[in-house]
Amino acid sequence: MTDNWTVVVGIKQVPDEDDVTIDPDTGTLNRAEAAAILNPPDRNALEAALQLKDEVGAEVIAFTMGPPTATPVLELAVALGCDDAALISDMAFAGSDTWPTSLTLAYAAEYFDADVGIFGEETTDSSTGQVPPGIAAHLDWAQLTYVADLDPRPEDNQLLATRDVEGGHEVVAADLPVIVAVGYGDNDPRPAGLHRKLYAETEFEPMELDAEALGIDPDEVGLDASPTQVGGMDTADPVEREQEVVDSVEDLAAAMAEEGAV
Amino acid sequence: MTDSTDNGTESADDQPTRTPPPAQPNYDNTFDAIVVGAGLAGSAAAITMANEDLDVLMIERGAYPGAKNVFGGVMYTPTIRDLVGMDGAPIERYVGQRRYAMLTEEDEIGATVNIGDWHEEPHNDSFTVLRGDFDEWLADQAVEAGATLITETTVTDLIRENGYIVGVETDRPEGALRAPIVVLAEGGNSLVSEGAGLKPAPDRKDVAVAVKEVIEFPGDSAQVIEDRFRLGDEDGAAYHYFGEGAAGKSFGGAFIYTNDDTVSVGLAYRIEDSITQGINPEKRLNEFKSHPAVAPLFKDARTVEYTAKTIPEGGAEAMPKLVHNGALLVGDTAGLVLNNGVHLEGTNMAVESGYHAGKAVVEAFNSIPATERTAGATAAGGQTARADGGMVIPSSHLQSYPDRLEESFVVKNLEHYEWLIHRVTEDKELLFEELPAALADAAAEYFAIDREPKQVHGARAKERVLGTLGGLRGLVKLGWRYRKIVR
Ligand SMILES: Cc1cc2nc3c(=O)[nH]c(=O)nc-3n(C[C@H](O)[C@H](O)[C@H](O)COP(=O)(O)OP(=O)(O)OC[C@H]3O[C@@H](n4cnc5c(N)ncnc54)[C@H](O)[C@@H]3O)c2cc1C
Ligand SMILES: Cc1cc2nc3c(=O)[nH]c(=O)nc-3n(C[C@H](O)[C@H](O)[C@H](O)COP(=O)(O)OP(=O)(O)OC[C@H]3O[C@@H](n4cnc5c(N)ncnc54)[C@H](O)[C@@H]3O)c2cc1C
Repeated sequence: MTDNWTVVVGIKQVPDEDDVTIDPDTGTLNRAEAAAILNPPDRNALEAALQLKDEVGAEVIAFTMGPPTATPVLELAVALGCDDAALISDMAFAGSDTWPTSLTLAYAAEYFDADVGIFGEETTDSSTGQVPPGIAAHLDWAQLTYVADLDPRPEDNQLLATRDVEGGHEVVAADLPVIVAVGYGDNDPRPAGLHRKLYAETEFEPMELDAEALGIDPDEVGLDASPTQVGGMDTADPVEREQEVVDSVEDLAAAMAEEGAV
Repeated sequence: MTDSTDNGTESADDQPTRTPPPAQPNYDNTFDAIVVGAGLAGSAAAITMANEDLDVLMIERGAYPGAKNVFGGVMYTPTIRDLVGMDGAPIERYVGQRRYAMLTEEDEIGATVNIGDWHEEPHNDSFTVLRGDFDEWLADQAVEAGATLITETTVTDLIRENGYIVGVETDRPEGALRAPIVVLAEGGNSLVSEGAGLKPAPDRKDVAVAVKEVIEFPGDSAQVIEDRFRLGDEDGAAYHYFGEGAAGKSFGGAFIYTNDDTVSVGLAYRIEDSITQGINPEKRLNEFKSHPAVAPLFKDARTVEYTAKTIPEGGAEAMPKLVHNGALLVGDTAGLVLNNGVHLEGTNMAVESGYHAGKAVVEAFNSIPATERTAGATAAGGQTARADGGMVIPSSHLQSYPDRLEESFVVKNLEHYEWLIHRVTEDKELLFEELPAALADAAAEYFAIDREPKQVHGARAKERVLGTLGGLRGLVKLGWRYRKIVR
């Protein structure tokens, strides 16, 4: 390959886990009031993509499918070093589960003529981990999951990945185009540079792409196209446990014997 | 969400003019001024400059302004009210009641001041606030006025060229940024200003150490506070304590301030005393909280926050040079805190100094004709001040800041109380240990109920106090020594 690789990175805005509470009256998660942040595993996805930029001069474009209020995660992506970022937003996407989400992101990867699509391991709000493999399936591309490190080989049109496996690691090679899911915490995300941060927060406006721009038929996505249905949510009340402090091993043995436990 | 998604859909077509991000954005010399620290002084300076159309960047190290800021505290708001109004300001309670009390190891003698006017707006411009909320709000006002704020960025050094401060270094990659003016509003622990040689490292006798706890009560915490401190829904209490029972054998005092549903309790004293008198701040605070006259206020309380911080308190004498070529020092960085036992005030001076500094910068920009705004023209000795040809502002053009401050209550108050601090230091044992003990004994004597005539008790009480002071002559001398306190 002569021209530089195009790398797309999928990122998602999630409620800050430290900020999510459960409404004791209704038992539902109170997500609305939690601060919205970048899905933490996506930091590792961005870092892996930016390393490809450093190593082989890849052009890196971040995108998110979500409402316009998700723009701050795109600003962060540009602050960290992405060349550009796109907001994929359309009423037609509302209610999408992982199937149409993957489909939409697959269209987006094609739209940017991507050689590599890099994603996080999973999100901290839905944590299905289905989106990256879903995209690979829709596009019929190779996929590399739980990736700890990438080694680009543009001369062979290949991407090598180090994957952590039980008892060690393995190195796998995939021909481009390829979808990568980076292991959470497997690299050390860089901080944003000062001038890029200033640009991203004060001037940057993301590209905006709707279903039409991506060539998506609205019937293919959204709630109606989503095979999963959430039946309902329950909170489990903690069970009160009896507590008793015993002072010595002998007392404990005696207490257990009394209960007929031994 | 419906609306915003709609917008997203439409604007795909409205975007032919969109320019993709530049490969290497560069903001050198695009801001007129950089403010280091988005605390009270920094935001006040930023508001003042942005109001006059200067491009201002505030750089704050916290996750948001106020995230790490510690104080008592009572926020004094006269200047903030003039600058941006108090609408929407996140206040906890207005101060409707003050109490000043002397503590010996076991006794308390005090006076409560509850002024009718304080219960009316503007409440004597005194409010208990939580700095995490208040500083964020004030910085927002600066952003509304047109300033830019970036957070999670720590300024590590200043860039200096040929005697001019021409920008800052930060802890971020490619972290240098240039601008004609740098306003240092980094608070009392001013590592950047000291590191760059704009002020000397403080003498330990000019620094106080403060520790503070925020506590709350089980159940309806606000109601408990209102009952214990005899407060209504909106008013709060500010208690100051002196004497051995408060800050031990040190120069300092303790404070209690009521927030909405929490109480701040802490103490402040000279670092020197903490070293020479071997005072452990945490232990001392616990001793204060369990003083027999204080403990009932804190029954069943639990601590939700514990913080420690330094306060500059050298007064007018310890004030560093406020203006430099291309830089100004404001707020605690300039040592503008009044901490003399009776007053613990820094917030109003921080805001006032930020305001005057901002004004001076605006005047400097207006006074230098555009054609002269480059290095070669303004630098003395014909040398080129800046390698990049950017504008520089010599300290002489910023002199109106110290001049205005000199005329304002800030320096007047600091100078006025300078002598007090000296006197109190000289008389420390008498004032903080012997006199409170004598007064407590005298009061016990005076109010004693037994079978002796009141006259006898009265005489003994008088004797006890005068004995400590060195007789009537001693009392007169002491009165003379402290006459200026009410002047
Ligand atoms: C039945 C059902 C109904 C739902 N309804 C809604 C709804 O109405 N509205 C709603 O907002 N959510 C809804 N969700 C959640 C939403 O479908 C999922 O968040 C989404 O499909 C992504 O799945 P995930 O978060 O588990 O991603 P994972 O597969 O865990 O994510 C892995 C990686 O994929 C990438 N990624 C994931 N999502 C995106 C995205 N949107 N854009 C770019 N990259 C991404 C990130 O890199 C991420 O690290 C619903 C989920 C279900 C199961
Ligand atoms: C325990 C205690 C109790 C007090 N009680 C009262 C009281 O009741 N009433 C009163 O009026 N005053 C009180 N004061 C004094 C008052 O808090 C200060 O005078 C006031 O906060 C000074 O404001 P400032 O803006 O100068 O500094 P600060 O409020 O300290 O703000 C400095 C800001 O700069 C940021 N910063 C610092 N260094 C850097 C850097 N290198 N890069 C980027 N950002 C940086 C900080 O995060 C902070 O946001 C008290 C002080 C203490 C410690």
